[in-house]
This record gives sequence, structure tokens and C-alpha cells, in this order.
Amino acid sequence: MESQPTRRSHFIPRTRDGWIATISFLVIFMLAMPPVTHTLLNRTEPWILGLPFIYVALFAVYTVLIGVLVWALRRGL
Amino acid sequence: MDTWVIATSLIFLYLVFTLVLGVVANRRMTVDMEDFLLCGRRAGFVVLYLTVVASFHSVFAFLGSGGFFYTHGVGFWAAGTWTLLVGAITYVIGTRIWALGKAFGYITPADMLADFYESEAVRVAVAAVSVVFTILYIQAQAQGLGYIINIASDGRVGLELGTLILLVVAAVYLMAGGLRAVYWTDVLQGIWMYIAIWVGALVLSYELFGGPLELWRAVSEQRPDLLSLPGPKGFFTPGMWIGMTFTLSFGVIFQPHMMIRYYTAIDAKTLRLLGATTPIYLMTLFIPAALIGLGGAVVMPGLEGPAADRIFPELLFAYASPWLTGIILAGATAAAMSTLDSILHANMTVLTRDVYQRYINPDESQAHYVWVGRGIVLGLLVVGYYLSVLRLDFLVVLVTLSGAGALQLMPAILGVCFPGGRTLTRAGVVAGISTGLAALYITLVVSPHPLGLHGAIWSLLINTAVAISVSAVTPSPSKETIERVHGELERFVYGTEE
Repeated sequence: MESQPTRRSHFIPRTRDGWIATISFLVIFMLAMPPVTHTLLNRTEPWILGLPFIYVALFAVYTVLIGVLVWALRRGL
Repeated sequence: MDTWVIATSLIFLYLVFTLVLGVVANRRMTVDMEDFLLCGRRAGFVVLYLTVVASFHSVFAFLGSGGFFYTHGVGFWAAGTWTLLVGAITYVIGTRIWALGKAFGYITPADMLADFYESEAVRVAVAAVSVVFTILYIQAQAQGLGYIINIASDGRVGLELGTLILLVVAAVYLMAGGLRAVYWTDVLQGIWMYIAIWVGALVLSYELFGGPLELWRAVSEQRPDLLSLPGPKGFFTPGMWIGMTFTLSFGVIFQPHMMIRYYTAIDAKTLRLLGATTPIYLMTLFIPAALIGLGGAVVMPGLEGPAADRIFPELLFAYASPWLTGIILAGATAAAMSTLDSILHANMTVLTRDVYQRYINPDESQAHYVWVGRGIVLGLLVVGYYLSVLRLDFLVVLVTLSGAGALQLMPAILGVCFPGGRTLTRAGVVAGISTGLAALYITLVVSPHPLGLHGAIWSLLINTAVAISVSAVTPSPSKETIERVHGELERFVYGTEE
């Protein structure tokens, strides 16, 4: 085996905005994944604006995730 | 006038229009491979946006998703998770793929991976995965087209004939105008399918229930089992939710027809904007799909398996006006054709570039390869038609299997696109893909979804473990290659961009 060129990892953000975008996206995304979906969100009550809770809650999570991506775009990340 | 006459006429009118677009695109084409295969790497935001969303949302979004809501309930709203991941993947990985494609002239996914891992075995493995698994996608789209025209004509145009007609039209405009024709028709198809599914769902909700909110209330009263997880048949377990999220995001994005789109962007800014905004279209298209599927379960219960996929056209024929039905079924045709033409193009590109030009006839003119590509499209048309008339199956299962195959490229692609630490090796990548595909067969076909976890996730985990283990004891790519490729990414992401 030969040694490889060493380079700072691209998996780890290098700026404050990069950290905020990455952590925000991952944490909010986890809200749309099990176990949250199958426990906390798995209900129809209360109905919100005439729609069942699980549907509205997931829609809200998706909307916030789009917001994170747009924020990253505006910050030039 | 009968509904079937209007519906069939509108579909054929739409087909003629796509052929005209193909001819116009042909007149704009220059005879070189980058123009024919990659639209000259000059795709701007609007065209790229609509071609990406139209290609991503296949006939499955139009028919299969309604069928899924119908059968398994609100659990299919998990679709939002994979559409969001598609945006994030485009933003983070798609821009890196674009940068490398521009710097080193890559045309196919195999170009990038074979260059970095310095291996013809990697090229062959990637090209094989690209073609084999997307041919399943051709089958799904072609079957969907057959369904649509069969339903639109009220059974007068048979499934086989309908499939053949639509395959031929897609192949003709692709051969005429290359990727430019595909992109232009995708613009039309992307707009049409979005408007069609929204209008259809809203009209049906008001017609049948008095509005969308009343529809949701009726579902809660008559089919409350559809409004909770894991759904009436217990399908949406946590393992399936996670599996579908990753398979239908990474797995679809890593298929050649999606990756090639990244190479075609005019600049990185366009791709970032695309990544931030495509989830809006992709996710909101499932809102009307939910209305169709859940509403259909209330007013037209009892459809099982493939019949459930037909809930949208069945409702239209039963409750909507002939003109609306025709317009919407033409939209369904657009959804299927926009994915079908993209996959035909991608397979043509892979076979022309990675097989014919690389191994069979490497020193021919650009015009020669363009004509070979056209010949390959004809061959794919025959294969696609043959596969599609073999049998009818539940659309989403085919799509999931296709996505799970391309998902096996994920460790190799991340190894190229994300510098840092020890990289994978050519032996590791080939071993990982091979083991992953074997694991995929076992966990999707032999013993589906062990322990409730989607087979695609099992295969990806095994693939990754094998790739890392083998890479730890086998030779890396040369320092020069790693420095060249990862250095380019370092400059692109953290240095001056263009």
C-alpha cells in the first residue's frame, strides 16, 4: 500500500454558515424520519386548517428543509 | 363527442407536437458528441429545472403514487423526504460532479469513476449497472404508457400497440435532436404534467366531495386506517420508510439519466439554484396525488395491485368531462415520456461512449458516433418494447428495484466527490458493487426486506463495508490522479470557482 495525499475532509464544514446549514438540515430532516414519524407525528388530531396532523406536520418539516436549502443558497455556500 | 375520442386525439396531438420539437432541435444541432449527448453543456436554469423534475417524476408519480396512497394511505407522504434529499444531493454532490465533468470532459458516470479509480473494470461495472437497472425503468415507463393509451382509448388501442407507438415517438425525436430535443420536450412535459395532476385532483375533489378539505374529512370518517402509519397493510414500517427515502433519492440521482444532467448545466450557480428549488416542484406534486389516491379509496374501493395504479384515469372517466380527461391523460403521457426519453438517451450515451467508442471503434469521427448512438436507440427501443410486453407488474416495485441498483454506485461516487481520509480503491469499488448487487438480489427477491429493513439499505451497508475493507488492503489510485481530481474539487468548493 502506498500513502495517499492528505487533504482536509470535505465531509466536515469549514465555515460557521456551513455548520449551521449542515446541522440544521440534518436535525430537521430527522423530524421526518422514524422514529419521530411513527410515534410523535403518527396521529390525525389535532386537525390543522382542516387537514390531519401527520400530513400538516410533515409538510411543515419539508417546507422548513426547503428554507434551509434556500438560506444556504443566499449565503453562497 | 365520446370521451375516448377526445382523450386519444389529444394524446396524439401532443405526440405530433413533440415530434415537431424534435425536428426543430435537429436543425439547431451541430454534429459533435458533446452537442448530441450533453446539449453542448449549455443548459440554463429553466430548461434544466423542468428536465430534471420531469425526468425524476415518471409515470410512477402520475399513476403509481396515486395507487400507493390508495392502497397504503398517508404513509406515502414520505415521498417528501426523498424529494428534499434530491435537492440537497443536487446542491452538494451535483455541483461537484458538474465541476469535474467540466474540468476533465466527462460525459458519462463511468467516465468520472474510471478516471479517478484508474480502472477499466470500474468503467465496465458502472456502465453495466447504469444500463441494466435503467432498462427496468424503460420497462416501467413503457408499461405506463401502454396503460394510459389503453385507458384513454377505452381499450381500442391495445397495451402492446400503445406502448409501441409511444416508444417509437420518443425514439424518433431523440434520434433527430439528441439531448436538446429531450430537454425541449421535457420543458413542455414538465409544465403539462404538473398542471394536469393539480387540475385533475382539484376538479375531482370538488366534484366528488365538495373540496379538498371535505375529502380529507371523508377519508377520516370512512377510511381512518389510511391516515396512520404503517397503513392498512402494514407497509410503511420504519425500515421501509428509511429504505424508500434513500433508494428513491440517491438511487434515482445516481442513475445515468440524472447524473448526465449535472454535466449539462451551464454553470455551478445554476445547479445550486436547482438544488434549492427542485424540491418545491417534486414535493408539491404529491399533494394532488394524495387527494386522488385517498379520495379514490373512498369513492371507488376494492382495486388491488396494478388496478390501484389506474385509480386516477378510472376516476376521470367516471366523473370528469371528456376534454379534461383528455388533457390530463396527455399529461400522464408526458410524465412517462419525459422519463422514458431521458433513459433512452442515457443508455444510448453509456453504450456509445463507454462501450462502442472505448472498446470497439475508438478512432472514428464525431458524426460516426452520433449515427451509432441513433442506431443504439433503435436497439433499445426493441429491448424496451420486448421487456414491457412480457408482463404487467406493480409500477413502484420496478422503480424501487431500479433505484436500488444505482444506489450501489454511492460509495464510489462519494469517494470521488468528497476528499478527505483514505480513499477507496479500484478493487474495493468493484468488490463493493459486486457484493452489493448480490446482497440486493437476496434482500429484495429471495428474502425481501430482512428484519423489516428495506433490501436496498442492506445491500448498501454490505457494499460499503466490503468496499472499505477491500480498499484497506489494496493499492490506491495514484497520487497524481487523487491530487488532480481532489485538487480540482478543493479549488471548486473552497477556492476560486470558475
